[in-house]
Amino acid sequence: MTATREIVADRREQFAFHDDIVYLAETKRGLTRDTVEEISRFKGEPDWMLQYRLRAYEHFLKRPMPTWTDGLDRLDFDKIVYYRKPSEREEKSWDDVPEQIKQTFERLGIPEAERKFLAGVGAQYDSEVVYHSVREELSKLGVVFMGTDQGLKEYPEIFRKHFGTVVPAEDNKFSALNSAVWSGGSFVYVPRGVEVPLPLQAYFRINGENTGQFERTLIVVDEGAKVHYIEGCTAPIYATDSLHAAVVEVVALSGSKVRYTTIQNWSNDVYNLVTKRAHAHTNSTVEWIDANTGSRKTVKFPSIYLRGEGATADIISVAVAGKGQHQDTGAKAIHLASNTRSRIVSKSVSKDGGRATYRGQVKVSPGARNVVASVRCDALMLDDESRSDTYPYIDIQEDDTTLTHEATVGKISADQVFYLMSRGLTENEAQNLIVQGFLEVFTKELPMEYAIEFNRLVKLEMEGSLG
Amino acid sequence: MTDAPAGATPTQSPARARPVRRSPTELTFKLDQALIDAFAADEPAWLAEDRRVALERFGALPIESNQLYTPYVDLRSADLATVVPYREPTGSPEAAAPDGPPEGAAGLAEFREDGVVALVLEAEAREAGVRLETLGRLISRDPVLARELLTDPAALPEDDKLAQLTRAGWNQGVVVIVPDGVRLARPIILRWRTGAPERALITRTIVRLGDGASASVLEELLPSYVAEAEGDDVAQALFAGSLEVVVGRNAELDLTSLQESGGRQVVFQQRNSRIGEGSQLRLALAQLGGRLVRSRVDNRLEGDRSSVSQVEIVFGSDEQLFDLTSYTRHIGRDTTGELLSKGALLNASRSYMKGLITIEKSAHGTDSFLGEFGMNLSRNARAVAIPSLEIDQPDCRRAAHSSSVGPIDETQLFYLESRGIPPDEARRFIVLGFLEPVVARVTLPDAEARLRALLEAKWDAGAVAAGEGSAAA
Repeated sequence: MTATREIVADRREQFAFHDDIVYLAETKRGLTRDTVEEISRFKGEPDWMLQYRLRAYEHFLKRPMPTWTDGLDRLDFDKIVYYRKPSEREEKSWDDVPEQIKQTFERLGIPEAERKFLAGVGAQYDSEVVYHSVREELSKLGVVFMGTDQGLKEYPEIFRKHFGTVVPAEDNKFSALNSAVWSGGSFVYVPRGVEVPLPLQAYFRINGENTGQFERTLIVVDEGAKVHYIEGCTAPIYATDSLHAAVVEVVALSGSKVRYTTIQNWSNDVYNLVTKRAHAHTNSTVEWIDANTGSRKTVKFPSIYLRGEGATADIISVAVAGKGQHQDTGAKAIHLASNTRSRIVSKSVSKDGGRATYRGQVKVSPGARNVVASVRCDALMLDDESRSDTYPYIDIQEDDTTLTHEATVGKISADQVFYLMSRGLTENEAQNLIVQGFLEVFTKELPMEYAIEFNRLVKLEMEGSLG
Repeated sequence: MTDAPAGATPTQSPARARPVRRSPTELTFKLDQALIDAFAADEPAWLAEDRRVALERFGALPIESNQLYTPYVDLRSADLATVVPYREPTGSPEAAAPDGPPEGAAGLAEFREDGVVALVLEAEAREAGVRLETLGRLISRDPVLARELLTDPAALPEDDKLAQLTRAGWNQGVVVIVPDGVRLARPIILRWRTGAPERALITRTIVRLGDGASASVLEELLPSYVAEAEGDDVAQALFAGSLEVVVGRNAELDLTSLQESGGRQVVFQQRNSRIGEGSQLRLALAQLGGRLVRSRVDNRLEGDRSSVSQVEIVFGSDEQLFDLTSYTRHIGRDTTGELLSKGALLNASRSYMKGLITIEKSAHGTDSFLGEFGMNLSRNARAVAIPSLEIDQPDCRRAAHSSSVGPIDETQLFYLESRGIPPDEARRFIVLGFLEPVVARVTLPDAEARLRALLEAKWDAGAVAAGEGSAAA
C-alpha cells in the first residue's frame, strides 16, 4: 500500500512553524496573585477589571479540578507562562505589522482571504491582537471589531454591561482561570438593525512553548442585527503541553441573528478547554458551527441559553479524534422561555486509538411552554483501537415539550468502500470520501474557502492511519 | 409539620415545610456496626467477613459513583433516619403453608415483612431438582453452596453504595436454583409484602439457571398493609433488595417484576445478571408504587451469542420519584441487547431514566439498542432521559440509542377522536397503550390482569387530579 501513502503524504509540517520573536513583556512562569496584578498593570486596566480578575483568581484556587473527564490532572499550572505581549501596540494597517509576524500570517493565507471577502481581521499572535482592520463601510455602519483589550478601553460602557454576564467567572474552573488572566480575543459590537454582509474573521495562533492562551471574546449583537463570526486556528507543534482556556460570550439581543463558526486545529499537544456560551433573547437566532480536529484534548460544549420567547438555537458540532487525542465535545441547549426551539447535530470520527466523546444537554425549565428540541449524534469508528462515547442529558420539566434524540455508532461500510474502489478510487481515497461525506452537514455550512480548508484538515487527520 | 423553626429557609411549598434542608445526596438511613455484629454472632465466619467488607465499602462509597449521573441524585424525599432494619432473619414459614402453589404457578415464596408466609414448590419441579428456599435455610443445609453463592464478589457491583448496603445488612433472602436441562413451564412467584413504618427489610435474592434450563420468575412488591392515611406524617419504610442472577449456557430466563409498594415505601433495588453462551434473559419491570425508588440493573452479556431484552415502564403520580439506571455490558461475540424504558408521568412525579451500553473490545458483532421515552402528562411532571454509549469495538451490527420526551401525541389523539372515541377515553388508550409492552410480558395471567387494573386505576385517579393544570387535558 505504499502508493496510497504517497497520495496523501503528511504535510502537517508546513503548518507547524515556530518563529523567534523577541517578547517585549511576559510574566514569570506560574500563576500567583502577583501575576494577575502584573497582567492588569501591563494593560493599564481600570480598577474594576483588576478586582474582577482577582475575584476570579480566588475562585480558581478554590475550585477543584473537574474529574468527570480524564487526563486534566496532567496539567501543571506552574509551568505555564500566563501572559506574553509580542508587540507594543495594536496595528491598524497591514504595513505596520512586524515583518516576522506578517510572514507567519502570510503562510496562513490571511491577506488573501481578507482581500477576497473578509470584512475584517483580528489575528491573535500569542496573547495580544496584533493586527486589526475593519472595512471602511463597516466602520461607517458602526460595527465594532477589535481586540478585547482595546474594546475595554474604547467602549467601556457596552463592555462592562455585558462582560462576564454570559459566562460568570465562577462558572467552572477554567472560566475562572480565563477571567483571572485573560488577554486578547475579539470584541464585536453590531448596532441595532445592522446586517454585516460578510463574515468577520479572527485567526488565532499559539506561538511560544508553554504559552497559555486565554483569549476572551465578547460579541454583542443589538436588536435586529445580523453577523457571522469565524475563527480558525493552526498552531506549531511542541513537545510539552500547552493550555488554551478561552471564554467566548455571545449576547444576541431581540430579533438578532448570530452565527459563530470555529475550525479548531491546535497542534496535538494542546489542552483546549473552552467555555462558549450565548444568550439568545426574544426571536433571536444563535448558531454555533463548531469543528474540532486538533489538540491533545478538547473539552468544549458550545451552549445556548434560550432566554427570550421565540428564540432559536442551532448547533452543529463535529470532531475528529486521531492518535493520542480525546475530543470531549458536544452542545447544550437550555430552554428558559416559551416557543423556543433547538437543534443539535453532532458527528464524530475516531481513529488510530483516538477517542471521541459526545456530551450534551437539553434542558427545558418549568414555564418554558411549547418547546421543540432535537438531538442527533452519529459516530464513525475507523478501527478497533478507537473509542466512541455518547452521553446525552435530556431534562424536561414541561409537559408540552417535544424532544427527540437519536444516536448511532458504526464503522465505514465495506459495501461503500467496495463501490467506490470499483469506480477507480484507492481504498484510502474511498475512506476519505466517506468521512468527508459523513461530515458534510458541517462543511456545507462553511464559506467555500473554509470548506476547502476543512476538508484538507480532515484529509490530514486521516493520513498515516490508512493503507 | 407546620411548626418549622423561625428563621428556617423557606421551602418551595409552605404545606411541605421541612425543618432541615438536606443535600440531595444525603442518605438518611444508617447501617450501624452493632447490627452487623449482632448478625455475626449467629452466622458462619465467612458471612460475617463478607458483611464487614461490604459495610466498609458502604461507608466509603458516594451515593452515585458514576459521574455521568451525579447531577441526578435526589434522596431528599427519603426520610429514613428513624428506620430500623429487622435483626433476625427468619428461616421457616410462620403460618401454615398452603397446600400448593397458586394456580398457574410452579412455586411461591411469600414474605410479610421479615417473616416467611409461604414457601411451596410443585412436586414435579421438586423432583426435577429445582430448589426454592430461604437463604437462612440454605446456609444451614448446604453451607458450601451458600458460601459460594453469597460471597461471590461479582454477585453485586462493588462500586455501588446501595448494593453494598444490601450485601452488608441483608436480613432475609431467597434462592431459586434450576438445574441443568430442567424447563419449568410455569413461573415461580417471589412475593414481598412490606411497608411497616420505620422498618427496613433488606433482602438478597439469588437465581441460578443451569445449562439448557428454562424458567420464569415473577417478583412482586406489595404493601404489607393498607395504611389509613399515607400523608407526609406517616413514617416511611425501606425495602432494599437484590436480584443476583447467573444464567448458564443455552438457557432462558424470564424475569418479571411488579413494584406496587405503598406510598410511604422507599425502594432500593439492584438486579445483577450474568448471561452465559447462547442464553437469553428477558426482563419486564413495572414501577408503579413507592415514594422514592432507586433501581440499578446490570446485565453482563458474557457468553457468545447471549442476549438480553429488557422493558421497563414507569407510571408515576403525585410526588413519586423513580431513579432508574441500567448498565448493559457486551463482552462475548455476537451478543444482543434490546433495552426499552418508558415513563408516563402524572402530577409532580419524576422519572430519571439513565442507561449505559458498553461494548468491550472483545464484543465483535454486537447488536445493541437502548430506547428511553418519557410522556409528561402534567405541567409539574419531569422526565430525564440519559441514554449513553461507550464503544471500544466498532465491528458491530448496531449500536444506537434513541430517546424522546413529549406530551401525548396530538396526531394519535386526533386519529382516535376522528373514529368517534371521546377525548378522555382516547387519552387513556394512548397512555395505557404506551405502557402495554411490559403488561403483555407478564408471565402469569392473574398478575397481568392485576397490573392492567392497577394502571387503569392510577390513570383514573391521576387524570382527575391533573385536570386543572395539564396541557394534555
